[in-house]
Amino acid sequence: MSEFLKFDTLSLHAGQTVDPVYGARAAPIYQTTSYVFPDTDTASSIFNLERGGHAYSRITNPTVGVLEQRIAALEGGSAAVCTASGMAATFCAITAILGQGDHIVASTQMYGGNISLMKNTLPRFGITTTFFDPTDIDACRNAIRDNTRLIYGELIGNPGLDILDLEAIANIGAEHHIPFMVDATFNTPYLCRCLDYGANMTIHSVTKWMGGHGNAIGGVVVDGGNFDWGASDKYPTITAPYAPFSGINLWEEFGPSAFATRIRAEAMRDIGPSMSPMNAFLLLQGIETLSLRMDRHMSNTAAMLEFLQNHEQVSWVNHPNLPGHRSHRLAQKYLPKGAGSIISFGVKGGRDAGKAFIENVELASHLANVGDAKTLVIHPATTTHSRIDAGALQAAGITEDMVRLSVGLEDIADIKADFETGFRAAARLAKG
Amino acid sequence: MYFDVKGKRVFATTGGKPFDNSKPVVIFLAGSGGDHTFWGLHARFFAFRKYSVLCPDAPGHTHSAGPALGSIEALADWLNEVVTALDIKDLSIVAHSQGCLVALEYASRFPHKLRSMSLITSGLATPVNDYLLKAANDNPAAAVDMMISWGFGPAGHLHQGPIPGNSMARVGYTTMWRNSPRALAADLHACNDYRNGKAAAAAVQCPVQVIIAGKDRMAPAKATATLVEHLPDPVVARISESGHMLPLEVPDQCRTLLKDFIFLHNPASQA
Repeated sequence: MSEFLKFDTLSLHAGQTVDPVYGARAAPIYQTTSYVFPDTDTASSIFNLERGGHAYSRITNPTVGVLEQRIAALEGGSAAVCTASGMAATFCAITAILGQGDHIVASTQMYGGNISLMKNTLPRFGITTTFFDPTDIDACRNAIRDNTRLIYGELIGNPGLDILDLEAIANIGAEHHIPFMVDATFNTPYLCRCLDYGANMTIHSVTKWMGGHGNAIGGVVVDGGNFDWGASDKYPTITAPYAPFSGINLWEEFGPSAFATRIRAEAMRDIGPSMSPMNAFLLLQGIETLSLRMDRHMSNTAAMLEFLQNHEQVSWVNHPNLPGHRSHRLAQKYLPKGAGSIISFGVKGGRDAGKAFIENVELASHLANVGDAKTLVIHPATTTHSRIDAGALQAAGITEDMVRLSVGLEDIADIKADFETGFRAAARLAKG
Repeated sequence: MYFDVKGKRVFATTGGKPFDNSKPVVIFLAGSGGDHTFWGLHARFFAFRKYSVLCPDAPGHTHSAGPALGSIEALADWLNEVVTALDIKDLSIVAHSQGCLVALEYASRFPHKLRSMSLITSGLATPVNDYLLKAANDNPAAAVDMMISWGFGPAGHLHQGPIPGNSMARVGYTTMWRNSPRALAADLHACNDYRNGKAAAAAVQCPVQVIIAGKDRMAPAKATATLVEHLPDPVVARISESGHMLPLEVPDQCRTLLKDFIFLHNPASQA
């Protein structure tokens, strides 16, 4: 009986009101720092959070707002706040609710930047982290302390590709009244809406598959609106009076969007990691075709898995869609359309062979990014994860011979042909 | 804030200012399955303009002690107990949907207590179809889906809205969903069973404002026309592009209409 607009329709239309002056169909790029107020009462009411509206583009911007509301719609969240990068989103989301003396329980399998943030940077601000193996639910439960205020993980771990058991972790969070934040960059809401499985907020580097074209850096925090901040006194940044806004109690006044409002009112105002309107426009263009691109990413990934598994120069292949992967069952449960387009594999001959492979592919780009429309390859041990120690490398499942492949949208025959060139170079090295 | 009404705890937000019954008071009443969250962008505006504001959670809703009350008449009595407990004198009521039925019933029983009444997207009665009633009893998730799907107009379904980054449809959904599953069922039955709307409307003595949504599928034009017909000289406004959840969908237009009406009929000093 109920009828809601579907994912593909929301990807194209959500959050945008057609320009009332010129009728522009595409979301206009509001490249402006500030906005003329019609009168003083309107100005003061915007500043006092009595009404919506724009005052200064560090805090809100109409183009960025369309992107935020579109992502909130696609994720099933009550609100979203875009930031200059995915890392900015992570930092803003964590510091919106944690401070001196607080503690995080986080997965070991995360982007190296996330691990470094929690291991090196946040302790300087009095926030500590205990890491757990994402395949060991008891390890997560046992890591909870009295001062734990957040459980954090990536649904598809980077680069080991283990799948986080969302419902099991969400249940642990609920038992201890701790919110569960998921970095959903690798899955996008098209492959899995983590909020539907009990996560309370999601983070994205929208630079990756969401934008999908490798042309704009950006991040977003999505507020699921499904965490009862008022059920304890653990989260005073949400439930206690906030002095800069006349002592507002965000939980009472904004309810399901209180967390997002705190990020907007504090992080965007006091720290200012804003997304540019131009980047928001580029990212919106990407999101318009998200489902089409993700379907192609998944079909090319399936083809590459078959190709790599049967290639004599490949020593091992890792992807959750493979039956032998230790997260295969969870991948089938949470990611039925496909467990993302990242494949890790080993090149026979170890580190030097891997290096030869990467230096001899031509179509695939050797760079530090994932989720581009173009196929990308990298050697994590010497690049993205080079700043973490050997123990953390091992915990993250990274080996010296590992190549990380981000499968692009090119014709699959061309990707395979390019890889054959790389493998021939690796083979020559091994023989020579 | 929390306060007691006949020994039961009631929660209400006050728009970010302490409640002060020496000021003119605006009480905001939410519709079926709703709570204080529904009025955030309206309550704060009045609270910072010399009014005292109260957005109560009805019994059995969100933070207020239960059980949920099963009739509009019982809710009107409870509202009077709130007004009495807080010793409110200069009272305006702003109500949405089911809250309008409660406000009508209250106004007819206690006409001397009201300075003004604003009724948003309502008829004299709110018959609820059997399918929704059954879902509210047996499958609250499906009932919430129906309420949100029918309640929001096209802009809501497109997650548009004036609050940057916010999906008001999802805010509405989450508000209703976090409520007790029994609360929505009790509310819908109370609406469906209410029969006294015509007599209550005729007994209203205070100035009344009626705000109609042009794309309302839950209180359609015929129903709101009947309400307008039976009220004594109402001020009627229509926001053509909104659906039933008008205070969430078009808060700026709604706030402007409320401001003009309440400032006129229940003025605050230096408002």
